[in-house]
Amino acid sequence: MQTSELEQRQHAILPTPNHDELARQQFVRSFKEHLVAQVHPGNRLAYERRARPGFIEKRGRAPRTRFEVGEAMTPDPHYRMFSALLRTSQEMMWSAAQKPVERDLDQLIEQAKKTGDSGGSLHLDPTLEVPRYHQAVDIHCQPGGYHTEIADDDVAPGAIYDRAVFIYAMGQMGPDNADMGASAVAWLRENHPDLKPARILDLGCAVGHSTLPYAEAWPEAETHGIDVAAPMLRYAHARAEALGARVHFSQQNAEKTDFEDASFDLVVSHILLHETSSKALRNIIAECHRLLKPGGLMMHAETPPYKNLEPFDAFMLDWDTRNNNEPFWGRSHEVDYVELSRKSGFDGDRVFETMAPSAYQIAQARRSKVFQGGDFGGGGLWFLYGAQK
Amino acid sequence: MDKKPQLKRKAKGERPYFHDDPAVDKLLSMLMGLTGEVSVLRDRLDTVERLAAERKLFTQDEIENYQPDEDALRARAARREALLNEVTRIIQAELEGLEDDDQEPYEEALDLVHDDRPD
Repeated sequence: MQTSELEQRQHAILPTPNHDELARQQFVRSFKEHLVAQVHPGNRLAYERRARPGFIEKRGRAPRTRFEVGEAMTPDPHYRMFSALLRTSQEMMWSAAQKPVERDLDQLIEQAKKTGDSGGSLHLDPTLEVPRYHQAVDIHCQPGGYHTEIADDDVAPGAIYDRAVFIYAMGQMGPDNADMGASAVAWLRENHPDLKPARILDLGCAVGHSTLPYAEAWPEAETHGIDVAAPMLRYAHARAEALGARVHFSQQNAEKTDFEDASFDLVVSHILLHETSSKALRNIIAECHRLLKPGGLMMHAETPPYKNLEPFDAFMLDWDTRNNNEPFWGRSHEVDYVELSRKSGFDGDRVFETMAPSAYQIAQARRSKVFQGGDFGGGGLWFLYGAQK
Repeated sequence: MDKKPQLKRKAKGERPYFHDDPAVDKLLSMLMGLTGEVSVLRDRLDTVERLAAERKLFTQDEIENYQPDEDALRARAARREALLNEVTRIIQAELEGLEDDDQEPYEEALDLVHDDRPD
């Protein structure tokens, strides 16, 4: 596979698709790009020309909330067509990512087992229970979720996820899928220039694609990544070592870890919070408070809260809640972060919510010297929530 | 020899359908699966033709006049079967849901994660 802006960077543990498997994955990416550019925009048109006027005719006023927008949009023929295609693209993505992994699973497992510890490490806890919010449905429709193992020392869910994230993001998170971590690091460097963390923790790290930018930004720091799913961590460890990063991976639940009180300078997560539950979220923020040294920073990257969005945009962003096995997505986008942080022991005045620009997209724009007018806005910003202890 | 372990192919959870008749969604899904396979095929053909041209191996005429032997016929039949399995995946997904008793209403997953859900 070629390494370019069009394709993912190859590394030792990334599954190697054969000719047709790669073509199938690349088709899914093209299909998704087509949906984003050609089909998704029709939803706004359908809303303004058809669904909204229909609602006004029936109710005598325009929709005021995302729920009312949903009432108007759900029966709309274009929205239905868009939704049916988007759901299908998600299923095709997983299917296309699975094929080379299933074929080469023995070799992938052998290769992961051979991974040395050149500065990083892997600690699994077979007694750790996979939380119910990960067992109820397979999150974002990955068959078997993050945790299901079909072989001893399985790495399949990690190998599938690594590839699927690239297809899902349509390359917009860069050749290493690193953009959330890299953008958060860039924001930290800009806004906390004196930050020199000695210990960093990434919660719900999956395959470590967002963890590595921290280890690279602060190579002298001890960087940890935790996740509930063993097959993700086995793969993450092999991937980090293959990419020359030193990260300590351990199988733990972010709600309650075995790290000591006040033992980290920086505790972060990336698109973790929306894959938990109301109760787990409270536990996680309280755990962040416990783990941070005084003056330490917690920071969580997500997509923007609905309060900052027009009801129509909030309705469209909420698509995943019911249609992509993300049951906590909607609720997690309506959390009062100041209140949540306060209840967990943080000072409400030291809570921040901000939009950080995508580091990858900035780098791309600089390289090409072209202003990417039309598609710059799409995924060009990440929402960051955090607090200083 | 042990059978190779198989990945689960259906994501656990009730699948939403968006049209009044779910068959419309299923047909769309098949159509996109089919489009995908056509695309895969075109990419492969493109590779072959580029390599052939690069190495001056054969011409368009030779492709038009090719006669497949028995091995080629068998391989093609197997490939067609795989193609059909791919295109009709959604029919199997529904059956796998039935077989695994994965029939819990999605509402239960929403309730599970929202302990402060009002209703």
